[in-house]
Amino acid sequence: MATSAVLLENLTHHYPGEIHPVLAIDALEIEEGSSVALIGASGAGKSTLLRLLDGRLRGWRGQATVLTHALSPSTAPPRIWRSETGYVFQEFALIESASVKQNVLNGRLGRTHAGLSLIGRFSIADETAAEAAMRDVGITELADRRADRLSGGQRQRVAIARVLAQEPRLILADEPVSNLDPKNSEVILALLRECAAKRGATLILTSHQPRLVAPFVDRFIALDSGKVMFDGVTEDVDEAVLASIYSKASRENHNEAAE
Amino acid sequence: MTVEQSARPHSERLTRERERSWGSFSISIAIAALVIWSWMASDIDLDKLAASGGRIGDFLSRMIPPDLSVLPVVIEASAETLRIAVLGTVGCIFFSIILGLLAAGTLTPRFVNIPVTWLLATIRGIPLILVAMLMVGAVGLGPLPGILAIAFHATGMLAKFYAEAIEGIDPSPVEALESTGATFLQRMRYGVWPQIAPDIVRDTLFRFEMNLRESLILGVVGAGGIGFYIQTYVRAFQYEKVATLTIVVVIFVILIELGNNLIRRFLR
Repeated sequence: MATSAVLLENLTHHYPGEIHPVLAIDALEIEEGSSVALIGASGAGKSTLLRLLDGRLRGWRGQATVLTHALSPSTAPPRIWRSETGYVFQEFALIESASVKQNVLNGRLGRTHAGLSLIGRFSIADETAAEAAMRDVGITELADRRADRLSGGQRQRVAIARVLAQEPRLILADEPVSNLDPKNSEVILALLRECAAKRGATLILTSHQPRLVAPFVDRFIALDSGKVMFDGVTEDVDEAVLASIYSKASRENHNEAAE
Repeated sequence: MTVEQSARPHSERLTRERERSWGSFSISIAIAALVIWSWMASDIDLDKLAASGGRIGDFLSRMIPPDLSVLPVVIEASAETLRIAVLGTVGCIFFSIILGLLAAGTLTPRFVNIPVTWLLATIRGIPLILVAMLMVGAVGLGPLPGILAIAFHATGMLAKFYAEAIEGIDPSPVEALESTGATFLQRMRYGVWPQIAPDIVRDTLFRFEMNLRESLILGVVGAGGIGFYIQTYVRAFQYEKVATLTIVVVIFVILIELGNNLIRRFLR
């Protein structure tokens, strides 16, 4: 039996001053090596859940185990745990004035020597990992170009290469393609899936476009007001299921859902 | 949209426009009053200015030809001014890094950054010449009080610029580095520094140019550099020496500006 990449129990989280929880998950398990889409309306708790899994959310309650490490709601996880979990940001989050290569090497910061990196020194292993990551996403020839000279699709490739350079066992991608055109979106999703599979890493991505991401994931989890309202394999997600997910959400949050 | 909803913003806009026109009227009156008071109270006699036309001409003619015998002395004194400006700038960079970090609203809590911001405003408010006189009193004559005065005075502005550069960064790439497991220092080095470096270099060069210009006058109060000779020659009515000195200072300031422009172009 496969081990679990994510195990959540009785998990709740409130934003300060809010009565309704932003997350309220009784139990959720995500198997290692699987690829999962988190869907749901805006404000359903998708991004909050990803940030929690990335160890960047504080003040939640319950049990959260990521890659067999029990996360603490009050303190940041140790450096080595963090490097095992990679995060792809919707807005790419690159250093605009730095080269592609440096942006990818930044993914090694959690693994490289903390002191030597401050004087710009990275090990052979770091260089090798960065080069492999750039090769996998097809940006080797852009290595010396500044990040602010790239197109949207190229930027997201750099962001993915940065995550791959981390050698993560879990890849979290928050709306990875919402800033890209449909053609680039499919290419980037295929790339994420392929790179995760090649490394045996688990992939969890959030999206507003279930039909777009369906070919690239095995499982769908729909959140509504922080609760799991649907959890099933991709084959079970038909139009009727999607309609129920989004109509319920739109009835309940029709103010927030308008984007 | 209903009539009721659109009517309210319209009347609000009218009120705001009326307030604004009253405001600009009052400001115009206040500025006019300030100018008139300055003129009247200064007791300026235009006839006197017209009558002294000949004297000004005589004064200028006495600057020609410049007395080049003082050239070595003046060049050495200018070099001392340059050294004061360089070391003063190094000093103010040091203090500005510390105070700039503390003054950045995005890094420190309000009970830290607000008092530091006030402190910087106070420092900016103290004229350089006053600081220099106090420093001469404290450490004696020579370039050292000049360096200390520049370092202190310039920190008021440079630390504010540094704090603004830090406040202006995009936090998301720094968060991305946090997510990779980067330590605090690594986030500063690879997330914050690349974003602020162009601003920091530009602000520092700008402040260096200001420091150079302001340090020309430091010698007047005994804090080293060319200012000593400016004062000596002018008081002794040695205008041909003042001419040499002026030429040297102008060339010297232009050269430094050209150098700075080269650095800026290289960094762009």
